Amino acid sequence: MAGQVKMAAIPPGSPANAGGGAARASAGSDSKAAPMKRDNQTALRWRGARNLIPALLFLSLFFLAPLIGLLLRGVLEPTPGLGNYEQLFANSAYARVLFNTFAVGGLVTLISLLLGFPLAWVITLVPRGWGRWLLSIVLLSMWTSLLARTYSWLVLLQATGVINKTLMALGIIDQPLEMVHNLTGVVIGMSYIMIPFIVLPLQATMAAIDPMVLQAGSICGASPWTNFFRVFLPLCRPGLFSGGLMVFVMSLGYYVTPALLGGAQNMMLPEFIVQQVQSFLNWGLASAAAALLIAITLALFYVYLKLQPESPVASSTAR
Amino acid sequence: MVLKKRASAVLAAVILAATGTAAFATENLSFVSWGGTTQDAQKQAWAEPFSEASGIRVVQDGPTDYGKLKAMVESGNVQWDVVDVEADFALRAAAEGLLEPLDFNVIQRDKIDPRFVSDHGVGSFYFSFVLGYNQGKLGGNAPQDWTALFDTTKYPGKRALYKWPSPGVLELALLADGVPADKLYPLDLDRAFKKLDTIKQDIVWWGGGAQSQQLLASGEASLGQFWNGRVYALQQDGAPVGVTWKQNLVMADFLVIPKGAKNKDAAMKFLANASSAKGQAEFANLTAYAPVNVDSVSQLKGDLAPNLPTAYAKDQITLDYAYWAKNGQAIAARWNEWLVK
Repeated sequence: MAGQVKMAAIPPGSPANAGGGAARASAGSDSKAAPMKRDNQTALRWRGARNLIPALLFLSLFFLAPLIGLLLRGVLEPTPGLGNYEQLFANSAYARVLFNTFAVGGLVTLISLLLGFPLAWVITLVPRGWGRWLLSIVLLSMWTSLLARTYSWLVLLQATGVINKTLMALGIIDQPLEMVHNLTGVVIGMSYIMIPFIVLPLQATMAAIDPMVLQAGSICGASPWTNFFRVFLPLCRPGLFSGGLMVFVMSLGYYVTPALLGGAQNMMLPEFIVQQVQSFLNWGLASAAAALLIAITLALFYVYLKLQPESPVASSTAR
Repeated sequence: MVLKKRASAVLAAVILAATGTAAFATENLSFVSWGGTTQDAQKQAWAEPFSEASGIRVVQDGPTDYGKLKAMVESGNVQWDVVDVEADFALRAAAEGLLEPLDFNVIQRDKIDPRFVSDHGVGSFYFSFVLGYNQGKLGGNAPQDWTALFDTTKYPGKRALYKWPSPGVLELALLADGVPADKLYPLDLDRAFKKLDTIKQDIVWWGGGAQSQQLLASGEASLGQFWNGRVYALQQDGAPVGVTWKQNLVMADFLVIPKGAKNKDAAMKFLANASSAKGQAEFANLTAYAPVNVDSVSQLKGDLAPNLPTAYAKDQITLDYAYWAKNGQAIAARWNEWLVK
């Protein structure tokens, strides 16, 4: 792989390409020069490292240390051992809570992506002034109190709420739709809250795509559909990836919205943890559940780092 | 640089001295409750008169958080002096060594209804879970007792029930299933959940008082289990809601002092004042929650008295906090299992 890259880096038609020997020689000198350059780069990169110390200290003191303390409780309370984890996996109710957490997270991510993508696209396409207005609306909704927004959804969605009353007055339905205190309510409320987190990274990615690339596609005979699926969508991948992952991970830890808009049947992991910590002082089990949530998040993040495509946009601008 | 350091050291010393003297000047007491109208009433009925009489400043804090209380006691850094907790938690926390034993030389134990006092806690107030209903939804068809919750043909609509595994829901299911009040404990969990299964699809769960009021007043739920004070507040606001006191389930809040509280002595005095006949009556007059002091009843406002659990003493069933303190955790596991099934 590395060899290929190097070969490709040699401009075609250069003398190095004429003979294998010369090519090898140049490759050799290249590899000798590289470490020195890398050393320099490393030194440069770490020059400001001392400035990190306060932040690192702060984080380790106020974030890492309590976190480790918490995780230890999972294996120490009430008796040392893995009893809490055993309980977490053996009890079908807790497994169900885990499943709910992922199902809701996945569903919310999917819907936010489906709704956020066109929105981000429109913001990129419309004239700049309009785009800025649209973006402000998205941001404004994000800055409004989460609790207020969640309660607003409750008012809108409930059986005696605005939406049901309107639909019934119009004669579209004769029984109020059950849109809240169940999975539907949770997914609607959470997707609404998450859409900005999709739109922002996606819009940034889309704005960076050179329109010439799309133009080139259509000049080469691609239909709009082909152009969208084979040129535009792949170029959006970094934004989709980072936005989607962020939303998914945030959904896993969401508490307020599911607690207010959900029924008790859709209990998610955060609510379970709160219940164990606050009502039952069962900190061992709670910290085992928290550890699980952290482990899953870290695993997802690792997958993300591995899978994230080298941003084609960034490399193209670098060139 | 040196000068700068010295200056900041001096500054720090001055600040320390200032805060130090401030702490000595007046005695402080931190009082923790659940917020909202309840805590406002507690402030007005207890804290303000107490401060005036004793010179001890009462700092309001909250909301009550059992996890935080435990963390404070375990770390030895107790910032709270008096905490309003649920009765079953008070007994459980005492068993786990999280609370100071009360000084009954200061607090008058013999005046307090024995249901609402223990070695480590004294009643804050008591209330009933009552059957509340929306008259607009049910018409003139007023439900009579807990069996109405399980009769979806005669009383259509959603049922609002308290969503946490704490005393109340299981008991009312058993009562509706025909278990006599004196045979409730130990709870027959199988039977209770089986009964609840019959209306599982019709339940909307509420997690807090405001939420319960919203459900009932809007008609989102036609009937359900509510805190009596919340239904009373709705009636005061003119909402079309009715209430049935038959088999009202008595539950209480306790005031406790966390182990290692910094102002223990002041806290004892505060509890003595709060549980006095006057303190209890004043709080009840503000909230429609019932006084734990037996001498308070005569001091209640005339128009309020019929809306308090004290007026329905013979219809009362007192929930067994001690049973819940002991078995709450095991019940919670079953509860969650049933819920998500």
